Amino acid sequence: MINIKSDFPIFKNNPDLCYLDSAATTQKPNVVIDAVTDFYEKNYSSIHRGIYTLSQDATEMYENVRKKAVDFISASDSNEIIFTSGTTEAINFAAIGYFGKHLKKGDIVVLSEMEHHSNIVPWLILKQRIGIKLFFIPVTKDGNLDYKSIDLDFKKVKLVSLTHASNVLGTVNPISEIILFFKKKNPNTKILIDAAQSIPHLKIDVKKLNCDFLVFSSHKMLGPTGVGVLWAKKELLSDMSPVITGGHMIKTVSKEIVELADIPEKLEAGTKNIEGVIGLGAAIDYIEKIGFEKIKKDEKKLVEYTLKKFAKEEKVKLFGSHKSDQRLGVFSFAVGNIHSHDMAEILNRSGVAVRSGHHCAQVLMKALNISSTTRASIYIYNTTQDIDRLFAGIKEVKKVFRI
Amino acid sequence: MTNVKKLNNHDDSLYRELVLDHWENPLNYGKIKSPDIKSVGHNPVCGDQIEITAVVKKGVLTDVAFESTGCAISKASASLFLEKIKGEKIKKIRSLKPKDALEELGITLTPARTKCALLVFTTFQKHLK
Ligand SMILES: Cc1ncc(COP(=O)(O)O)c(C=O)c1O
Repeated sequence: MINIKSDFPIFKNNPDLCYLDSAATTQKPNVVIDAVTDFYEKNYSSIHRGIYTLSQDATEMYENVRKKAVDFISASDSNEIIFTSGTTEAINFAAIGYFGKHLKKGDIVVLSEMEHHSNIVPWLILKQRIGIKLFFIPVTKDGNLDYKSIDLDFKKVKLVSLTHASNVLGTVNPISEIILFFKKKNPNTKILIDAAQSIPHLKIDVKKLNCDFLVFSSHKMLGPTGVGVLWAKKELLSDMSPVITGGHMIKTVSKEIVELADIPEKLEAGTKNIEGVIGLGAAIDYIEKIGFEKIKKDEKKLVEYTLKKFAKEEKVKLFGSHKSDQRLGVFSFAVGNIHSHDMAEILNRSGVAVRSGHHCAQVLMKALNISSTTRASIYIYNTTQDIDRLFAGIKEVKKVFRI
Repeated sequence: MTNVKKLNNHDDSLYRELVLDHWENPLNYGKIKSPDIKSVGHNPVCGDQIEITAVVKKGVLTDVAFESTGCAISKASASLFLEKIKGEKIKKIRSLKPKDALEELGITLTPARTKCALLVFTTFQKHLK
């Protein structure tokens, strides 16, 4: 077995770190760090505007990542992808730039109770602005979406915007079936998939899914922070108005008018995060080299190991599914009536880094009737030792709190 | 070279007896039926909520209660601080500073946990302004 951990310098520099917060952001492998450094040291310049060789090379490198990202999600056309600053910006671009002009009062946007705030707030703002209606697909006790019994005026459902996987419960939603369900009710309903959580773990094929928009962040899949991807079917992306305007996104500008460039330039105003995009390219290469087959197999083993530990540990409640199928290694739990902050604080004493709080999912917290959880989440560099340390930490917490 | 602080050398001052006692059995916990003051505060970082209800008679805080979803630090702090100001003149309470609330806990806090400890103070003071 290859030792993936040794590819990640953070663990060399922090030998005692037990990092269990990959659902928030992943650590970076050497190849990504080197790609960014190399680019700065060997190829750095502005893109798209220079006539000189350096700029042409940098432009080519940047555009190659666009092609790479297209292949990564099995799309077919490079012009269907724009680089954003992350998932949040990508959803905002879709919400404001496309749906902002196409939705009318009374139109329905379907979300779910397990959405991250970044896939709720832009729609709440449109609700205030336009008077659209929001419908939230309920979450069952096991953390699944209860969509089959939904009864809506489907003619009015213009968009279903859903997360592929829950950042709190780890549930992987049966997204193809859900898309089929809604497209059958109304073929004109658009589908946006938030792949921020799933993209590091699962092979995504936008053609098979038959979704219309797909968004994700580089920093959750080993790449640099500050880069994200918005993919949309070509006719939809072409029809999207730029939310940010200025340099680079024009054909001509005069005192009177501006003529906008075609996609993707139209939607990439200003100087983009070039080195971040280059780093994303290296992250894609690294993930593909390991392969989703292996990622899935290894993670499943670790998830099963962790679930067994949770089942045995007294006074610990694991939220969401207790089965290893259709779930990622994202574990939200509570220990007795101990608050998640206290959990995270005491776990930190033994170098165990977990997240506590509402995880930007207050709608889900409310649905589960809780105010916060402690969350441990894994990725390819985690081992059974990390999980053992988590549970040793949990025992320590119980001791401190005398439960 | 390691960036992780030396492990396992924490004294347990953060969760010393006093904090745990007040976490387990907070003073003045609950809700007053027809309060003169009702103030709700949130810690936006974690979504924790505290609701304080109080009775004021002739410029004196005669009764006060709180309910909270917060952590041990925020609960213990609320318990201690409200006990401290109960029976005091509103005028005097108004002049209190954050350090007066923190000193009740008597422990050193990181900036994140200071927010937890001060939730009770900011929520109550907000209402006196
Ligand atoms: C499901 C989901 N959607 C969206 C986001 C937002 O991503 P970003 O902060 O990179 O824009 C996150 C990140 O926490 C997430 O987990």
